[in-house]
Amino acid sequence: MKKILAVILASVMTLSLCACSNAKTGDKKTFTVGFDAEFPPYGYMDEAGNYVGFDLDLAQEVCNRRGWELVKQPIDWDAKDMELSSGSIDCIWNGFTINGREDDYTFSVPYVDNSQVYVVKSGSDIKTEADLAGKIVGVQADSSALAALEDEEGKADVAATFADLVQFADYNTGFMNLESGAIDVLAMDIGVANYEIAGRNGGYEILADQLATEQYGIGFLKGNTELRDQVEATLLEMAADGTVNKIAEKYEDFGLVESLCLEGTKSDK
Amino acid sequence: MATSTMLSQLASGMLVSIEIFVLTLVFSLPLGLLVALGRMSKSKILSGIIKVYIAIMRGTPLMLQLIVVYFAPYYVFGIAISASFRFTAVIIAFSINYAAYFAEIFRAGIQSINVGQWEAAQILGYSKPQTFFKIILVQVIQRIIPPVTNETITLVKDTSLSFVLSVAEMFTIAKQIGAREASIMPLMAAGLFYFVFNYIVAFSMDHFEKKMSYFR
Repeated sequence: MKKILAVILASVMTLSLCACSNAKTGDKKTFTVGFDAEFPPYGYMDEAGNYVGFDLDLAQEVCNRRGWELVKQPIDWDAKDMELSSGSIDCIWNGFTINGREDDYTFSVPYVDNSQVYVVKSGSDIKTEADLAGKIVGVQADSSALAALEDEEGKADVAATFADLVQFADYNTGFMNLESGAIDVLAMDIGVANYEIAGRNGGYEILADQLATEQYGIGFLKGNTELRDQVEATLLEMAADGTVNKIAEKYEDFGLVESLCLEGTKSDK
Repeated sequence: MATSTMLSQLASGMLVSIEIFVLTLVFSLPLGLLVALGRMSKSKILSGIIKVYIAIMRGTPLMLQLIVVYFAPYYVFGIAISASFRFTAVIIAFSINYAAYFAEIFRAGIQSINVGQWEAAQILGYSKPQTFFKIILVQVIQRIIPPVTNETITLVKDTSLSFVLSVAEMFTIAKQIGAREASIMPLMAAGLFYFVFNYIVAFSMDHFEKKMSYFR
């Protein structure tokens, strides 16, 4: 018993030593990106257990060009403001909606045009936004879909007709509720909606009526224009030489290429 | 994705969960004993402070305590937080929280021992510390094993709360795999991991209890 305990303790201590040495970085300037690891395709964990995604690939390329070391820090989305202002992350780069947050962060130029849509089960009798009256609608807590539904100048009047507006911590829980019939509609970003529907082999529909259109940018701590300018300059350079497009093509299934909106990345459709 | 890949990723998260579990026990058990002794102190000031400490630890959510421990250095003292502090903050928060619960269990155990034993030991020439460590404590340990097992099992499941500080323990990983796969299977698998781990904990504690019952 004692021996077993000793072995466990020893291994635990070795583990924590490893953790400490990993945290130390060399002379290279580090660039810590905070992201929600449950937000594919912008940031998520791949099958090998690595954090990947469109935004993280862009961040990696920016760091490669600037000679910085990229630190990918998954965060709890509700704690993002505390993480940013306490300095434990340098920016939020994770399909981060600019609209409505302009005064709270220092943003880069928008790089993705994104819309908020309504997702329903296939065969649902909900066809238009007007049909949503009296239905139960789900949304991710602190998400831009929620912001749009709460915005007096946005869709607050539509939200007022809902039977109920339920908030979820993550999209997986949201879809479980939708699938089981606990809610009738999910309001979310179109990119994530496409990914989730494809991953679940269909069975869902996106309503033609959109909740809102909006743009994604990189969010820095308010006033941190120095870092913003550096990152933005490199991002524009990457857009101009086609690198951004190339990275977006990796995530073609999500319709990312169509939603790019930087100079040099716009598609000519 | 293959089930084996998911299981191996969950297993690596399990290692972090176990690390939190073991380190919390290592720090909170001795700390709990100190807190229990302070709570029973004749000094009104000391026992008063300890009472407030226990009231706060038991009266507020552990999730909130985790957030406070991690972010307090910056918001209270203005010290920038390093990434490696995440894990440290988890251990600190869990340790001081569980110490409060363990302290009350220890106190119940210590006070359940008949005062006559202290008097008898005094007559036999034992000093107070000698009496405590050689006579009282062994009996206390025997009596408190069941409630301590309860707390320990709760601790295994509570490790999942460290997701609020984004420590990559098993539940955080399970949620991330779930998001990628758009499936609830990883969460079910995580539940199985917790169950098996708790079964081992309960079994070991049962074994320990039998070993300790040599007085009966």
